[in-house]
Amino acid sequence: MAVALPFAESEIRLLQSLLKFKVRFMVVGLSAATLQGAPVVTQDVGLWFEDLGDPRLVEALGTVGAAYAPPSPVNPPMLAGAGSELFDIVFKLDGLDSFAEEFKGCVSIPLGRQRLKVLPLERILASKLAANRPKDKLTIPILRDVIATAESLARKTGDSK
Amino acid sequence: MKSPQTTNQGSPPQAQAWARRLGLKVADVLSEYPDADPDNVRHTLILLEMPPLERLQRSLIRGRSAALRRK
Repeated sequence: MAVALPFAESEIRLLQSLLKFKVRFMVVGLSAATLQGAPVVTQDVGLWFEDLGDPRLVEALGTVGAAYAPPSPVNPPMLAGAGSELFDIVFKLDGLDSFAEEFKGCVSIPLGRQRLKVLPLERILASKLAANRPKDKLTIPILRDVIATAESLARKTGDSK
Repeated sequence: MKSPQTTNQGSPPQAQAWARRLGLKVADVLSEYPDADPDNVRHTLILLEMPPLERLQRSLIRGRSAALRRK
């Protein structure tokens, strides 16, 4: 029996709905790093929203059969319903500026006809250095090497990024 | 439109040529960043040849299967 691939149609549809409704969010953490070429593994896709109380968020999620579940004594804030299982709402990021500041520096990754905002590698590294948990320490040297590789390639192609 | 020769798919000579090009690129990066780990550089260069969503999908597949094995 074929096993469904993670991050397929329903997850993409959810992200596209958020973009269509102009919800301000970005992909963060190791999922953001993998989108930019980092050879690391992750179990979920971290999303940082500017405002979890934004009514457009509820509308965008509702359109694809998902919902926002506010924090409870036992659960952090989370997404629930169709296509939401892989997403993790991130509400605390060490070592970073405000959402608005970080949003300005995001890289854009094509997602159909829309562009997904993704935290750049340098800022992912900054957050991992600040968090400094054992699991962060494992990825720091890899992120440094990915940044070095990207910088070297950019110089060769004359790309300023 | 001619597709770029970026992956290691195709005939054995093409695959060998791809591997040679990859090796040269790794050496190039290491000449600028001698402290970088060659494996990290090589894996990054390979991943950069894939579309971003495919990279994420591969990472999630590995991350989730590793988590299942730990249970």
